[in-house]
Amino acid sequence: MRLAAALLVVASFVAALHGQGTVSPSALAAPTSDSWPMHNGDYSGRRFSELTTIDSRNVASLSLGWTHRIAAAGPAGGGGSTAAVIKGTPVVANGVLYVTIPDHVWALDARSGRELWHASWPSKGGWHIGNRGVAVLGTSVYVSTPDCHLLALDNRTGKEKWRAEICDLDQFYYASAAPLIVRNHVIVGVSGDDLDIPGYIEAHDPETGARQWRWYTHPEPGTPEAKTWPSVEAMLHGGGMTWGSTTYDAQLNLIYFGTGNPQPVINGRRRQGDNLYTGSIVALNPDTAQLAWYFQVSPHDTHDWDATQTPVLFDGTINGQPRKLLAQAARNGWFFVLDRETGRSISSSEYVKTNWALGVDAKGQPVPNPRKEPQIDGALVSPNQAGGQNWPPPSFSPQTGLFYVNATRAFSVYYLYESENDEKPQGWGGNDRGGWSEAVLLGLDYQTGKARWRFSWEGSASTRSGLLSTAGNLLFAGDSANNFAAFDAARGVPLWHAGLHASITNGPITYQLDGLQYVVVAANDTLYAFASRGR
Amino acid sequence: MPSRFSGAFVWTISVVLLPVSLTAQGGPTDRPAVDETAAARGRGVYAKHCINCHGSTAKGGPNGPDLIRSTAVLRDRLGASIGPAMQAKAASHAASLTQAQIVDLAHFLRQRIEGVARNRTPTAPIDVLTGDPEAGRRYFDGAGRCSTCHSPTGDFASLRTRTSDALTLQQRVLFPTLTRSTKKVEVTVTTPSGPPVSGTLERLDNFSVALRDASGDYRFFSRVPGMTVDVRDPLTAHRELLDQYTDDAIHDVVAYLWTIK
Repeated sequence: MRLAAALLVVASFVAALHGQGTVSPSALAAPTSDSWPMHNGDYSGRRFSELTTIDSRNVASLSLGWTHRIAAAGPAGGGGSTAAVIKGTPVVANGVLYVTIPDHVWALDARSGRELWHASWPSKGGWHIGNRGVAVLGTSVYVSTPDCHLLALDNRTGKEKWRAEICDLDQFYYASAAPLIVRNHVIVGVSGDDLDIPGYIEAHDPETGARQWRWYTHPEPGTPEAKTWPSVEAMLHGGGMTWGSTTYDAQLNLIYFGTGNPQPVINGRRRQGDNLYTGSIVALNPDTAQLAWYFQVSPHDTHDWDATQTPVLFDGTINGQPRKLLAQAARNGWFFVLDRETGRSISSSEYVKTNWALGVDAKGQPVPNPRKEPQIDGALVSPNQAGGQNWPPPSFSPQTGLFYVNATRAFSVYYLYESENDEKPQGWGGNDRGGWSEAVLLGLDYQTGKARWRFSWEGSASTRSGLLSTAGNLLFAGDSANNFAAFDAARGVPLWHAGLHASITNGPITYQLDGLQYVVVAANDTLYAFASRGR
Repeated sequence: MPSRFSGAFVWTISVVLLPVSLTAQGGPTDRPAVDETAAARGRGVYAKHCINCHGSTAKGGPNGPDLIRSTAVLRDRLGASIGPAMQAKAASHAASLTQAQIVDLAHFLRQRIEGVARNRTPTAPIDVLTGDPEAGRRYFDGAGRCSTCHSPTGDFASLRTRTSDALTLQQRVLFPTLTRSTKKVEVTVTTPSGPPVSGTLERLDNFSVALRDASGDYRFFSRVPGMTVDVRDPLTAHRELLDQYTDDAIHDVVAYLWTIK
């Protein structure tokens, strides 16, 4: 009955659609609660909403507002085995919700889920593993494509305004990341793990698509950092893709992103050294692409542990002093808290138990145990290749001071395929296999690095659900048994849940329109919008 | 206050999915498919004209660059790029190849590139039999506590004849499942009001539990405050071992178990 009532409420507001309008840079700098205008909701990457209409006292009244199933559309072409699975975070601006899968963008009425337009285009290839969503500015919607393009679409029609090539399909690059708008820059990263190619991130003009800069994720030859590679050739073919999400501090005028694993991926025996700037958190000036600092999360990685998890920005107190902080729960199982002005370590700790590091060095960087590098006869490693965390976004609540991670504790065995005598490993040269894992939702205290609470997902080996926290003392998360749940954010106690047709496949978002607060999440090909007026 | 496990707002819907199946590939859709026969001929061309400088695996040598990482080769379409590229370097590529040989060579190099791009999959057996069987036997009977539940003359009799290869054995030792076992995960649910109900576990999450009781009936419970759910998983001891194994112990015990013919 409640469900039907909510649907009626939603239906009555369909007529109130304002249209696409424009999105100003100031709307991105200070997002309003009726929007979710970029991948992480705002530049901080916290995925925290100030909305309190739905709170921990009334969340049990949350019911279904609408659903939208993307119309049985698989990728429009190219490679990959991905079905129509929504792995991106929807963006909401001016009452319109934009959702993607590779080669497709839909604009929906954010109040009803009704389709306004659908844009798709034939693909020339590239991995169709997922698309993380759009960026919006002015009257444009920006999206990257598996076949190495950045597209600008008209937000009223979905019609293409321009397209810019951002990578080379012939070198086995592809693109999946959500672009980020920083003033007059559309910043986008690239992917590609099949051959040994250098990673980079680049910026384009929002109006013309012209490339403004490209920053490679390797040092300049001849610099001290370049000595973390055995040769210039190894460095220039050393990977470090930029497929995660980027955050931005306007005051410091720095963007922050993580870089992917080095290449060759598994066989690292001919790329001795730390392999900078792979597996690192990097701070760049978005106007000049000047490197401000780096912190290497996984020195000399040989486990495919990209450090592309969101670098989350928040202000906090460390030893009684106010600090500008950056925190990341990295794929390698470690939680890092840094000073985001300098990149210096404040704390490094395991958020899931791991077995690959000997400890941390003076810089706060884990020291890999060589015995846990992949071996011909196998090395038992924790976490596994999927990691303690992967692309599903975490959340930070300034209200609770907790950094939330939907974590996995996993083991697998890493094998080296090529002979140790192979003079020049390329590609992967090995892989992990098998395993066991368990999933746990964590509330990490950034001051101690320790979990203030942990909630074991019983029956779930792992989960691909991102997280959302709100000022209503709520944390939204999913398990792998098709449940979408709301938790008391301070205590980690579930307060509400719904069983969907599939498990959550993206990060939830929230926005409020006409007094109704929506929480929208995807499970495979379907968006679910839960809604409540609170009382 | 809302109930933690309120059932009133729990609902489930079911949608028939129509997965789209596509051939897995990472590069451009227009890159040429490898003609294996042409690639075999191209291998001969390579061995005669290219191998001395570019190396036996085309990954380069002291006198010639890596052809797998060459942008010209990666962008090549059936010799359209590499033919002119070789012509441009006439001094070092004095051998004049026919157009047909260039096409064959292009197929061979493409075959090499595709091989590298897919080498996350093994092309040869993985040799995991590097341990000491005798040390493995001691571990089996001692520190590993394997003999608490298993025996080389009991459940592990003729183990090797029942196992396809040693890699499979290693994976089963580390990550056993109950798929080939008569053992099941058992569960006892005790509700605040009723007597305990026991059976084999059908489904478990934080909000519900389902079991099949001795009579074969399917029993479903929404988890509510005051309910206890006691799960008994025969593999719990194996999960605990993951934190205790050394890699040497793993290789030793697999070497030992492989001797049980």
